[in-house]
Amino acid sequence: MCLAVPARILSIEGQEAEVDFSGVRRRISVALTPEARVGDYVVIHTGFAISVLDEAEALETLKLFQELDEFTAQMLQDTDNPVSQSAPNHELSGK
Amino acid sequence: MKYIDEFRDPEKAQRLLHLIHKRSTHPVRLMEFCGGHTHAIFKFGLRQLLPCTVTLLSGPGCPVCVTASSDLDRAIAMAHLPGVIVATFGDMMRVPGSNGTLQDAKAQGADVRMVYSSLDALSIARANPDRPLIFLAIGFETTAPTVAAAILQAQEEDVDNFFILSLHKLTPPATKAILDAGEVNLSGIIGPGHVTTVIGADSWNFLPNDYGIPCAIAGFEPLDILWAIYALVDMIEAHTPAVSNRYARSVRPEGNRRAQELMDQVFQIGPAEWRGLGVVPSSGLLLREQYRAFDAALHFPVQISPSQEPAGCRCGEVLRGVTEPPQCPLFARVCTPEHPIGPCMVSSEGACAAYMQYSEA
Ligand code: SF4
Repeated sequence: MCLAVPARILSIEGQEAEVDFSGVRRRISVALTPEARVGDYVVIHTGFAISVLDEAEALETLKLFQELDEFTAQMLQDTDNPVSQSAPNHELSGK
Repeated sequence: MKYIDEFRDPEKAQRLLHLIHKRSTHPVRLMEFCGGHTHAIFKFGLRQLLPCTVTLLSGPGCPVCVTASSDLDRAIAMAHLPGVIVATFGDMMRVPGSNGTLQDAKAQGADVRMVYSSLDALSIARANPDRPLIFLAIGFETTAPTVAAAILQAQEEDVDNFFILSLHKLTPPATKAILDAGEVNLSGIIGPGHVTTVIGADSWNFLPNDYGIPCAIAGFEPLDILWAIYALVDMIEAHTPAVSNRYARSVRPEGNRRAQELMDQVFQIGPAEWRGLGVVPSSGLLLREQYRAFDAALHFPVQISPSQEPAGCRCGEVLRGVTEPPQCPLFARVCTPEHPIGPCMVSSEGACAAYMQYSEA
C-alpha cells in the first residue's frame, strides 16, 4: 500500500484531479499538494498526490549519473588509479 | 521525463554498481526501513549485484506487517458488530489474527470492504448514512495526512457515520527503537523516500547526530536505491555520517508542509503497539480531543481475548532485521503467499513475500 507511483496530471477541478498512470486514468485528490498544476508529475499514494516531482532536480540527478559514467569509464581504463581516494564528491546533503 | 525508465537504465546501474564495488572496503550492514524498498530491491535483484561487503537488511516499514495482532483482533470484532461496515486497504484482508482474517469475517457475514483510499471509505459512509463505517487507518506518515484530509472533509459535510480506528505509526521513533535495542549492528539507514517526502529529510538528522550513523534517502527505482547505497558506503568509508538526500526530485529538507499541517490538526502523538517492537512511546497518532467524534475505538468498544501471534511465525524478528525470512522454519514449507501464516508473507511489502516472489527460496 506504500508503493507510490508517479503520474501526470491531466486536469484539476477543485481538490480533485484526473491523472494518467502510464496509460491508466484515475481520479485522485490534490488536497495535500495545492501547488500542483496540469502537466505536473506527482507522486500518488493511496489516492492522494503527496508531492509534485521537481524536474530540475530529476535532471540534475540524471546529469550526475552521466558524470559518474564518464568518471567510471575513465577509471576503468586507468586501473592503477586508486579509486577510493579519487572518487568525486557527489554529496547532496543539505538539498 | 516520465520519472520511471530514466531511473532504470541498466548501463547506469552497472556503472553505479562498479563505483560501489570500488568504494566499499569494509563490511557494512544497511537497513532499508521501507517495505517499498524491500520490494524494489528484490524485484530488481539488487542484493545479488552488491559486493559481499554490503549486507542489506529489511526493516519494519510494512504497515500491514507492523499492525499488532491485538489491533487486528479488535478490527475483526468491530466488523462483527451489527450494522457496521469495515473498510480497509486490500492487504489487511488476509492477515491472520488470533482467530482468522477479516476475509474470514466477511465470509461469515460481516460487511468488510476493500478500498484504495481514505476518500473511498468516506464515499461508502456517504452512501450508507444509516450504518456506521469504520475505516482501519493503518500506515505511516504517508497515509496519516490522507486520513486527516478525509476526516476534515467528513466534518465539513457533516457525515456523522464515518469513524476511523487510528493505527497509524511514525517511522523515526521505530528506527530509534531498533537502534536502542542494539540487536542488530547497523552501519547506515536507507531512508524511506515517501515517508520523507512528507516529514522532510531534516527529520532524520538524529541518525548522524545522536547515533553517528549515516542516512541516505532513496527513491524506488533501481538507480535511486544504488545511488543511496553508494552514498552510505561513501559516508561510512569517509567517517562522515550525514543525511544525504538522494531523492531530491520528491523530498525537500522540510517535507510537505501542507500534509504536516493536516496531520497535526487532526492527530496528536501517543504510544503505539507494533508487531515485533511492542509498545513504542510517541510512535503513534491518536485523534485530538476535537475529533473524538470520529474515533471508532471510543464509539465501538469491543472485548477481545488476549491476542496470540501465529504459532511459529517469526515476523517480529524479521521486522527488527534480526531474522532473515528463510531462517523461519515455516518459510516456503508451511507459509506461502497462497497460505500466509504471518503478515510478512501477506503484503507485497513484507520481507517474506518479497523473498518468496523473487525467489531466493
Ligand atoms: S515465513 Fe511466514 S511464518 Fe515465517 S516469519 Fe514469514 S510470515 Fe511468519
